[in-house]
Amino acid sequence: MWQNSKPYLFLLPAITMIFVLFVMGLGEGISQSLGVYSSTDKLHFAYYVQLWSDPNTWSSLKFTFKIAFLSTLSSGILGLILSVVLLRTSDQTPLLFKTLQLPLLLPHFIGAYFIVLLCMQSGFLARIAYLLGFISDPSQFPILVNDHWGLGIILTYIWKETPFIAWMLYPVLKRIQNTWWDAARLSGANRFQYMREIVLPLVFPTWLTSCFIVFAFTFSAFEIPYLLGVSYPQALPVLSYELFTSGDWEKRSLALALSLSIAFITGILGFFTYILGKRIRTQKGVGW
Amino acid sequence: MFKSHKSWALLQLFLFIIILFPFIMMLLFSFFTGWSWPHLFPQTLNVSAWSYLFSGNAGVQEAITNSLVIAFSATAVNLLLALPAAHALAQHTFAGKKIVEALLFAPLIIPPFVAMMGLQITLIQWNLTDTRLGVTIAHLVPTFPYLLRPLYTSFTTLASEWNAQARLLGASRLQRFWYVSLPHLMPGILAGVMLSLLVSFSQYLITLLIGGGAIKTLPLILFPYITSGDLRMGATFSILFTAVTLSILFIVEWCLKRFYKHRHTVPM
Repeated sequence: MWQNSKPYLFLLPAITMIFVLFVMGLGEGISQSLGVYSSTDKLHFAYYVQLWSDPNTWSSLKFTFKIAFLSTLSSGILGLILSVVLLRTSDQTPLLFKTLQLPLLLPHFIGAYFIVLLCMQSGFLARIAYLLGFISDPSQFPILVNDHWGLGIILTYIWKETPFIAWMLYPVLKRIQNTWWDAARLSGANRFQYMREIVLPLVFPTWLTSCFIVFAFTFSAFEIPYLLGVSYPQALPVLSYELFTSGDWEKRSLALALSLSIAFITGILGFFTYILGKRIRTQKGVGW
Repeated sequence: MFKSHKSWALLQLFLFIIILFPFIMMLLFSFFTGWSWPHLFPQTLNVSAWSYLFSGNAGVQEAITNSLVIAFSATAVNLLLALPAAHALAQHTFAGKKIVEALLFAPLIIPPFVAMMGLQITLIQWNLTDTRLGVTIAHLVPTFPYLLRPLYTSFTTLASEWNAQARLLGASRLQRFWYVSLPHLMPGILAGVMLSLLVSFSQYLITLLIGGGAIKTLPLILFPYITSGDLRMGATFSILFTAVTLSILFIVEWCLKRFYKHRHTVPM
């Protein structure tokens, strides 16, 4: 009996914490988004209807999705390339290898600060453009920060997430590195075949998972769109925050309906990625 | 890939520049003023940003103290929760394991700020909003999965035979943990503690939601300088933040490595 209940006992403190602070928080959020603040209130979906019948919410959704998608795609591709570079620097240039860990240690808002410095209309890049004779005045430089396209936001995410993906892939590549190449060459495979048949299938599940983590994060993160965004269209988490802190109870419920919609989308995405990852693994018989 | 040595060297140089350039620029901007168009760099040496930072008016000391106390308390509590949890997940099979795993790692996928928005009313009733304790409690959720993951991996590679052997040799439960398990888990603990500290240091929204602006941490005092476009103060605070973060990480790494080394010399 003791042996059977032991793992549950060990898990109890952690589960209690997550349950009280996370699950109950979500539960209370759901009930508040349905207009239930006390036991006498009647449950209704009016806030969700109001929220999603507003075209403003839809343009925020499109904007947020675009940022998340473009950031994930760019850092996914760049991160894959960087992971190969990491593999080589690990033996050849330990100093660079160490340096490449730096972006992992720093939060996004430091990156945001630097993107402002670099990309604003009178920023470093604009001055270089001036020196090269492309523009004669700051106003001629394109608006890259606090722009309607969210370019500054995307650039900040690329700065931070490319190393993240590279460092997720690095241990996988490290394990493949030499032994498998020798075996493949012995069986008569060339470099290209080796890449396509061995490296890519082994790296793909980890790459997909990392990309998903990046997407879920960039879709639901508040800080960078708050710092580098514009007032219209706003990213969903920023919109939610503004509604939440407006001091109006109706808007507070709207904010919770919106936040839970965000949580629902990332939750669904997480579930599908998990299923997809599992299917890939069982199909190819790859355990790592 | 990158066959010629020349292109490889160029690529490396490019990476060095891309990573280190922001820090060089930040240093420049915190020590110099007068960035008039079209100068590439600010022109005049001026340390007023730094003297303001240390003048006591900027609330820097309070922010550093808050950031450190919150990050270390949340990490310590999470370590106590995560150690037994990681042990159970890695070394036991039991009914409902998949569900428990999904639950404990869920804050990585479902943004914790959503739960904090929902929990805010309850925390107000418990008098936990606008307090450091409340913010610390709120930081437990986003940091926990980052601490759990490396511990989980460490426990997975910890062979149960080692403990069995130690038991055979007459080691007590505590001795087995101290001499067998802990040295093996140390790298995982180290990685988890660092990640947890980093995640706590960089929280903004959750600190604001639960701390109500009354509990000022480093990100809270840094943000206004970025939104207002005050490049000089922004740079100075960013350097301060980077310096605090990196020195904490170095100290933690140094302490744990020392401990680790010392433990290896213990005759077993």
